[in-house]
Amino acid sequence: MRILEITNLKKTFHSNFLIKKYRILKGIDISVEAGEIYGFLGPNGAGKTTTIKCIMGLLFPDEGEILINGRPADTIDARRPIGFLPENPYFYDYLNANELLNFSASLYSIPAAAARERIDRLIQQVGLAGFERLKLRKFSKGMTQRLGMAQALIQDPDFLILDEPFSGLDPIGRKEFRDLILNLKEQGKTIFFSSHILQDMEMMVDRVGIIINGKISRQGKLSELIAGSTRCHEIVCSQISEKQLALIHPNFVRRDNQYIITLDNEAEINLVVESIIHNNGLVIAVNPVKKTLEDIFLNEIGEVQ
Amino acid sequence: MKINIKGLILNTFKESARNKMFYLLIFFGILFALSSKLISFLTLGDAMKVLKDTGLAAINFFCVLIAIFTGINLVYKEVEKKTIFNILSKPVTRGHFIIGKFFGLALTMLLALAAMAVIFFLLVFLVGGGFDLKILLYFFMLYLELLIIVAISLLFSSFSTPILSFIFTVSLYLIGHIMWTFNEFKMLLQSKLWIKFAQFLYYIMPNLDKFNIKNDVVLDLPLQATTILFSVLYALVYILALLTVTVMIFRRREFI
Amino acid sequence: MKGKLPAVAFMCLLLLAAFFQNRYDATIDYFGDRSVFVSLPSGQSLRILSFGFQNFAADMLFIWSIQFYSTYNLVNRFDYLERVYDTITDITPLYKEPYIIGALIMVFEAQDIPMALRLLEKGSRQIKDEWFFDHEAGYYCYKYLKNYEKAKEYYTRAAAKPNAPSFVKRMKAHMVYLHDDPRVAYRMWLDIYRQAANRVEKDAAFNHLYQIKAELDLPVIRQAIDSFRTRFRRFPVNLAELVSRSTVREIPLDFSGKDYIYDPNLGTVKAQRLFKWKQR
Repeated sequence: MRILEITNLKKTFHSNFLIKKYRILKGIDISVEAGEIYGFLGPNGAGKTTTIKCIMGLLFPDEGEILINGRPADTIDARRPIGFLPENPYFYDYLNANELLNFSASLYSIPAAAARERIDRLIQQVGLAGFERLKLRKFSKGMTQRLGMAQALIQDPDFLILDEPFSGLDPIGRKEFRDLILNLKEQGKTIFFSSHILQDMEMMVDRVGIIINGKISRQGKLSELIAGSTRCHEIVCSQISEKQLALIHPNFVRRDNQYIITLDNEAEINLVVESIIHNNGLVIAVNPVKKTLEDIFLNEIGEVQ
Repeated sequence: MKINIKGLILNTFKESARNKMFYLLIFFGILFALSSKLISFLTLGDAMKVLKDTGLAAINFFCVLIAIFTGINLVYKEVEKKTIFNILSKPVTRGHFIIGKFFGLALTMLLALAAMAVIFFLLVFLVGGGFDLKILLYFFMLYLELLIIVAISLLFSSFSTPILSFIFTVSLYLIGHIMWTFNEFKMLLQSKLWIKFAQFLYYIMPNLDKFNIKNDVVLDLPLQATTILFSVLYALVYILALLTVTVMIFRRREFI
Repeated sequence: MKGKLPAVAFMCLLLLAAFFQNRYDATIDYFGDRSVFVSLPSGQSLRILSFGFQNFAADMLFIWSIQFYSTYNLVNRFDYLERVYDTITDITPLYKEPYIIGALIMVFEAQDIPMALRLLEKGSRQIKDEWFFDHEAGYYCYKYLKNYEKAKEYYTRAAAKPNAPSFVKRMKAHMVYLHDDPRVAYRMWLDIYRQAANRVEKDAAFNHLYQIKAELDLPVIRQAIDSFRTRFRRFPVNLAELVSRSTVREIPLDFSGKDYIYDPNLGTVKAQRLFKWKQR
């Protein structure tokens, strides 16, 4: 079942007095299946946040259709099961964490007793225990991010839309967030998140969509995208002079006392290893190098440009 | 479709009630109301009248200031600091948002006015005056006027910056208070077209002087029930109209 | 929800607001019967510019004027006196104090009584039911201008106001006495005497009646004595002789019902009591 379906989404911004047009989204198609983690990947200014704002009804698309659970996204009932964490969230600095979550709960008409219980659990979950009564103006960026996550989860949503959830977090925070998201997935929730941090993506997502310059250039299962193929091989060797090595193979780099030779062609491995041994060099390792998301990403960007 | 606007109202109320500006203005309002005692020393004859005049003028002035300053900031701040993302992504329509803001502000104004009114009545009582029900009626009419001002500032704040909203709202407030002179000047207009145009303006601009019964109340002049009734009806309908247009504008807004 | 509905609702609400405005206007008399200003004199323009704070503006101007006019070392401080009070009373025409205090300043400080009378007359025009302005004006006319005719006019107007206290009627009667026919005044006093509510009023009316009656009677008696003397070349023995010798038809009694006092040796007649302060 498709929980989110975007077809041909277009959005143009105008500068003042309609002189200049900025075409931000040029026909986006995205579909998110129920129960998966969908990574929305793209460089800065590609249109990630714009797409998310269109989904949340903060921007009005020029063209295209956005369906949530098969219903148009611009009704409040469609938004009810969505938990949303905006990019760099900001909250009322005159409230404390508890008050803010209570306010969020009130917008979903959650009864007071249930809300209290849920808020206590969420504060534990996002690691804000002990800071419930602190005014939000004293919150650090990471704490605000955690609070943003808590308010997105207030109504126990089925579908989470997270815009750059890992920004502002330290490594421990990232780990915690990752665990939290994986935990939510285990509970059967669908998660759609944008990021430009590939490492986080690669560790979690089921599927990715890569957006570049307002267009989805690639979409699919992560395992399929980086399937099987070894990109290249590395040979690590030492006790050989650069001069000799340059004759054997020109594509190498030096790291401390060792040299790393990158081979694109599998057939060359034997030949190169033999040559090194022949020159009294020491072969330390031969490693296959797997394709990563980064490769795909950089490749896509290269292609577009 | 079950929506809790109460949360929005209370949050708006909290926002303005936790603003230092709000207390500063209330403080000054009360200070000036109290200083009316000093001013009344300077007059000859009916000191109580001067005391009431000055006190009510101070309350009126500072309440209007509070209404304008809180009204022009609230929506703008939400949009500027992007806190509105967290609200509109919840099951809350733009209309709910505006209505929540309006009633939150109404609650704030009620608190401010009540605080000042209590001090005023206390002062009158201490100086030896009695409780005058008509002055309570004046406070009610002032409250209606404040609600209109709040709705006006909310309208402007839904699409422009605080500075512009301030200028617009203050202009409309001043225009609203001299609108009644139209009845006097219309005969000066020569062409029929101008008269029609002036009449059109007269009827669509806020007509605020009708809520200003403080002068009648202090001098204990007779007030007609129908006059009051039409003032109240006017206020309610005008506020509704303002809120409708605010929601209309706000619905078209995009939050980049 | 979207579409034309809000726009239509907005138009309807605006129309309704205009309707209520119209109805409201029908219940209000914006300018009363005060002269309609077309060229915006200063008081009225100030009233408009006070944006609803006209009472406050008037108070401030009033307080300022009181302080200003009681600063005795200022030269020419009365140059704009009338203008100042005109402005104050234009802004809040129904505020009583400025008329009275203004008139006091005009009379006692500036010593310009006609100016004070103009201000008080304005007050009387604006606050129709107030007797005090006409009383003040009448008193200034009587006391300082000695213009009893004008004083009579003011008191006549003051006495006609609904809440005028009884002494205003007595003042009116006295002004009538001072200005024109004592007989008219006598009838007025008689009314007051009959309707008197208390001892003090009754005594006052009695004194006046006694005085006027004596003033009217004594010349008649004196003339009768004179004509008696020309006819009989002597004074009558007593006043009764005037009747028996048919010089007059009857001898009037004073207001308390007693005879006037007659001195047969000098031929003079006088009332039992006469008050210096009543004499013209």
